[in-house]
This record gives sequence, C-alpha cells and structure tokens, in this order.
Amino acid sequence: MLDSLVFVLAGTLAAATPLILAAMGELVVEKSGVLNLSIEGMMATGAATGFVVATQTDSTVAGFAMAALAAMLLSLIFAILALGFLASQVATGLAVGILGLGVSVLIGKDFEGTTIKPLEKVDLGFLSDLPLLGEVLFAQDVVVYLGIASVVLVSFVLNRTKLGLVIRAVGESPEAANSIGYPVLLVRTCAIAFGGAMAGLGGAHLTLSYTPLWAEGLVAGRGWIVVALVVFGTWQAPRIAIGAYLFGAVSLIELFVQGQGFAIPSQLMSAMPYIITIVVLAAISRNPRVVRLNYPASLGLPYLRSE
Amino acid sequence: MKSLLKNAVFKFRRLSWRDPAGLLAAGVLLLGLSVNAVAADKLKIGYIYPSPVGDVGWAYELDRGRQAIEAEFGDQVESIVVENIPEGPDAARIMNQFAAEGAKMIMLGSFGYMNDGLKLAKRYPDIKIIHASGYKLADNMGNFQTRNYESAYVAGMSAGYVTKSNTIGMVAAYAIPEVVGIINAFTLGAQSVNPDVTMKVVWLNSWFDPSKAQESARSLIAQQSDVIFSIYQDTPSVVTVAEEEGVYVVNTSSDMKKYAPKHLLGSMQISWKNHFIEQTRAVLDGSFKGIAYWGGMAEGAVSMESWSDDLTAEQVAALNAKITDITDGKFHPFTGPITGQDNKVMIAEGETISDPDLLGISWLVKGVETKLPK
Repeated sequence: MLDSLVFVLAGTLAAATPLILAAMGELVVEKSGVLNLSIEGMMATGAATGFVVATQTDSTVAGFAMAALAAMLLSLIFAILALGFLASQVATGLAVGILGLGVSVLIGKDFEGTTIKPLEKVDLGFLSDLPLLGEVLFAQDVVVYLGIASVVLVSFVLNRTKLGLVIRAVGESPEAANSIGYPVLLVRTCAIAFGGAMAGLGGAHLTLSYTPLWAEGLVAGRGWIVVALVVFGTWQAPRIAIGAYLFGAVSLIELFVQGQGFAIPSQLMSAMPYIITIVVLAAISRNPRVVRLNYPASLGLPYLRSE
Repeated sequence: MKSLLKNAVFKFRRLSWRDPAGLLAAGVLLLGLSVNAVAADKLKIGYIYPSPVGDVGWAYELDRGRQAIEAEFGDQVESIVVENIPEGPDAARIMNQFAAEGAKMIMLGSFGYMNDGLKLAKRYPDIKIIHASGYKLADNMGNFQTRNYESAYVAGMSAGYVTKSNTIGMVAAYAIPEVVGIINAFTLGAQSVNPDVTMKVVWLNSWFDPSKAQESARSLIAQQSDVIFSIYQDTPSVVTVAEEEGVYVVNTSSDMKKYAPKHLLGSMQISWKNHFIEQTRAVLDGSFKGIAYWGGMAEGAVSMESWSDDLTAEQVAALNAKITDITDGKFHPFTGPITGQDNKVMIAEGETISDPDLLGISWLVKGVETKLPK
C-alpha cells in the first residue's frame, strides 16, 4: 500500500511539472493581453530539441537551454505575426502550434524511438531517506523544484512588483499603458518569449526526465491542458498549480485503480483527470467577481499603437 | 537519371507527413517522380506506413519486410515508401498517387487503410494490394496478420517461471480481440507452469502516449507486479521503466533487448519477410490471389527472441519444446478446458478454439483480475 501511495504522490509532482512550467509561461503571456494557443507545438519543439541536444552533447543543462531557446524562437514567429502584423491571435497561435509539431518531427527524425538516461534525482541525504515523505518530496529531479519555484516567482512578480504591474496594465488596457509611456509591444513580445521558453522547458522535462525517450506525438495533448488550466485557474498562479497537481494525481490514480481491477469502465477512468480538474477549478473559481478581476480585459485583442 | 530517381525515392522515404516543409517537398518530388518514371518492366511497389520507421516497432518491422523484398528480387522491384500517414483522406490520396505513378503492388500498413484500399482495388484490378490486419478481401487485395497468441503463450510460461510475487502486470492500448487474445494466451501460458499467478491489466485507451504507458508500468510495479508485459507499445517506454525498476519485461513486435539488457525476459518478434517475398513472387509470376494470411510460428511469422539468461537451462528447454510443439501443430494454446473470468467454461475439455472465434475473442480467462472495458 505504501508503495502505491509513493507511486501516486511522487509521480504527481513529476507528472505536473511540464504542465506547471508551460502554464506559468502562458499565464504571463495572457496577463499581458495575448492569447498564444501554440503551447502544444512549442512544448513538442522543446521536447525534441532538448532530447537531441542532450543526446548529442551528453549535457542535460544544454538540452534544457536549447529547448527553451528553440521554443522561444518559435514563439517569436507568433509575436511577429500577431503583434507586428496584427494577425488574429487565435488563428496564428493554432498555425504556429501546428508548425511546432512539424518542426519537432523534423528535429527528432533520426532519434525516433530512442531513449536517454533520465535526469538524476537529487539526493538530500537523510531527507531523501525518510519513508514516504523523502521519496515524495526530497528525491525528485531538480526541474520539479524549479517548477514549484516558478509558481512562487511568477505569482510574486505579477502581483508584487512594478514589472508585474506593467505587464498587467498592458493586458488590461494597452492604450492606457501606452499613454503613460510603457512600450506595449515590447512588453508583450518579452512576455511571449518568456512563455515560449517556459513551454520549451516543460517539453524538455517530458523527454529528459518524465518519459526519457523521443517519439513523435509524445506531448500527447498536454499543451492543450495547459491552456485550459490557465483559464480554469482564473489567471492565478497558485490555482493553476493546484489544477496541474490535481490533474497529475488523478491521472495516476486512474492507472492505479485500473490495476486493482475495480469494475469501473476504463474509458470513464481515462476521462476522470479532465472531469475532476475542471469541476474542482470551476468550484473554487465560482465567484464571478474574482474571475472578472483576474481576467485580462484586453486578452486576445489586437493592439495598434495610435500615434 | 537513375541515381537521381533513387535519391528522390530515398529522400521521400524519410519524409514525415506532419511537417509542412516536407509536405511541399513531397509534392515536388512526386511531380518529379511521375515525370521521371520511365524505368519500365520493374515492379513498382508502394508502401504506406502509419507511423515513422523508428528503431523498433510496427513500422520498423514492415520496413524490414520491404528490405527483404528488395534483397530477394533486387533489380526486379522498385520501392516507393511513405511513412507516418494518418488513416483517412491522406492515405487515400497517397494510394491514388501510387496508382498514378504506375505502382502495381501496394502494401497498406494499417487497419484503417482498409476501406480506401478496397476502393482502390476495385478501381484498378491490375494493382495487387496486401493489407495489414484487416478483414475485407478482393481478388486483388489480401490481408495479413500474425498469430501472436502463439508466442504470447510461450512468453507467458517464462513469466510464470520467474515471478515471485505471482502478480504480472500488463500495459495494453485498447481491448480489441487481437489484444484480448494475447492477454489470454499469455495468462494460460503463465498458469501452465505456475497455477497461482494472477494478471493485472491497465488499459491506456490511447494508441500512443508513451508517458502514460510508463506511468502505467510504474503503477503496476507499485502494486507488486514483478513481470511486466508491454503489449503493442511501439516505443521502448515500458521496457525502459522495467529496466530502471528492476522487474522483468516481455514486449511485442520487435526485439528490445538493447533497451533492457538486464531485465528483458524475452521478445515476441514478428516477421513479414516470408509473406512479403511470397506475395511479391506471386505478383511477378501473375499468380496473385487476395488471401487472408494468418502466419504463426510454423510460417516463421512469429518467434521468441532474446531469452533472459536468468531462465534456467531446464526452463529454456521447456520453452523451446513448447515452441516446437506449436510449430509442428501438436499444441494449440487455446485448448480446453479453459474457464472465463466468471468461472464459466468457455472451451470444453479437449476442444480447440476455431480461428473465427479467436479472431473475434471478447472474453478474458480466469486469473486476469481486470475486467474488459465495456
């Protein structure tokens, strides 16, 4: 029984990490008033790039760095089209997402189905040796902790710093932000680049640690979960994180329950993570005032600077 | 000119359908090919694979069949290969493209190509088609499958030998008859050497999600499974988890020894070589008929590879003896008495399941704890 508990709890932290990383990026992007739907493609590009670079250089750090860079470049294509040419953010996001999936296949072509040694788990001495707690909390890979840190950091920056205020101002009313002298397009471009890098890191965590292999289609829809998490988490970092952990936990419990042989249709079980996550997030976000307060008023609207 | 063509074909082979740049290049190349296609007399064979040709797995084994044809017939044949084609309109378009290019034989590598393939067969009676795992036939369209339940039985025996917890975990995609048959045969094999063994199954409800497959394997290991059976996972996802966690693993389709050098118990290898060569010869000498091929150990279509060194000499001898019996037709894994999960006798004493019943099997044997998804 303890084994199973460790499996679910420890697995949850690892399973949620790619979602959290990408979601924190997307949160910043959406807070700046831009809706970037290309997460799935950016994660795939990051996953492939990270895997190929790590395989070739034997350096996981290089893998993560190049994954972030590659996905960031992809997000800048989105930025040019959506901000520069005022193309529809939804359509552009979808197009860049599909492009990203294609790029990932191209990058990973010669590595299809190959494996890699996963990122090492940290060893915190006696802490890691604690029963249950040690394995769950103190024996994860370092990126899992970075994921948790990113939630704290993004939450802090958005709500407690001037930079966060500027980002939110740009997302609420770009005209107002512009009139008091803030460079709207620059802020949004930086937010998009940050979102791209985070999605790339999330993707790389998939191929370098969580599922240490590359295969086409490996991201398997997680990018879309991220988009949903940001919305259902009502643009608040802690709630998004709760959603991600919940999603991870339920998807693992599902597998566990199946193995126990309960007479629940497995198709229903497979749908559970989605159902439970949405229900819980909807329940904690049912106050419409809070939702409206956190919803970036200019989300998805094109902005043309008036001189 | 010839080398140019070859080069073009080679490049085409590595293309993947989901990248737009490649798509464009493919279009240009196809155009080039149809202009260049003057090398008469050669039998042009078109191949469509549903997934990329990786290092292991379904498309890889199909591609080995193609290589066997090329090795056997050399200059008499010419290959056009497209990989990673989703089942649907794209596949139909590629088939028609093949026909337009003068392909006289086409290999369709996935179940979902069946209806488009049948349409093509009716429209072009002179094109011979062989189709993987379907059930519709025409004079010029046959299909092929392997009797994986034969190797599954033997693999199950080996799992029955090594398990200490008497719990075996299985990771499976969907509960289609093919998969159900394999699970049953594996269970029967394990029970034949170890009556106390029970099986846990996790249904992924997804054809492709390596991360979920890995988590499933981990969850089964956490629930005391010390042998994992990875069913139709095209990537080494489950196999690497087993190696990492130190439990034995059996996999299907390709040999995955290199991904689990210590803990691979054995691989249920499939091979299309003999069938592909036979069919190509039939097309070349004009004797092709659309047949339903169901190849087993006797036909060299399924085999067991890479037995673990941890199996004792007597155990390997017993396994090999069973393989010989199955090959010689002396033993059928589904020979009664066999009881189902609900304790009902499904196959009576001394009886053997018929091929049609086995092709549509929809019940699990006693000893499998997980119910079929309904």
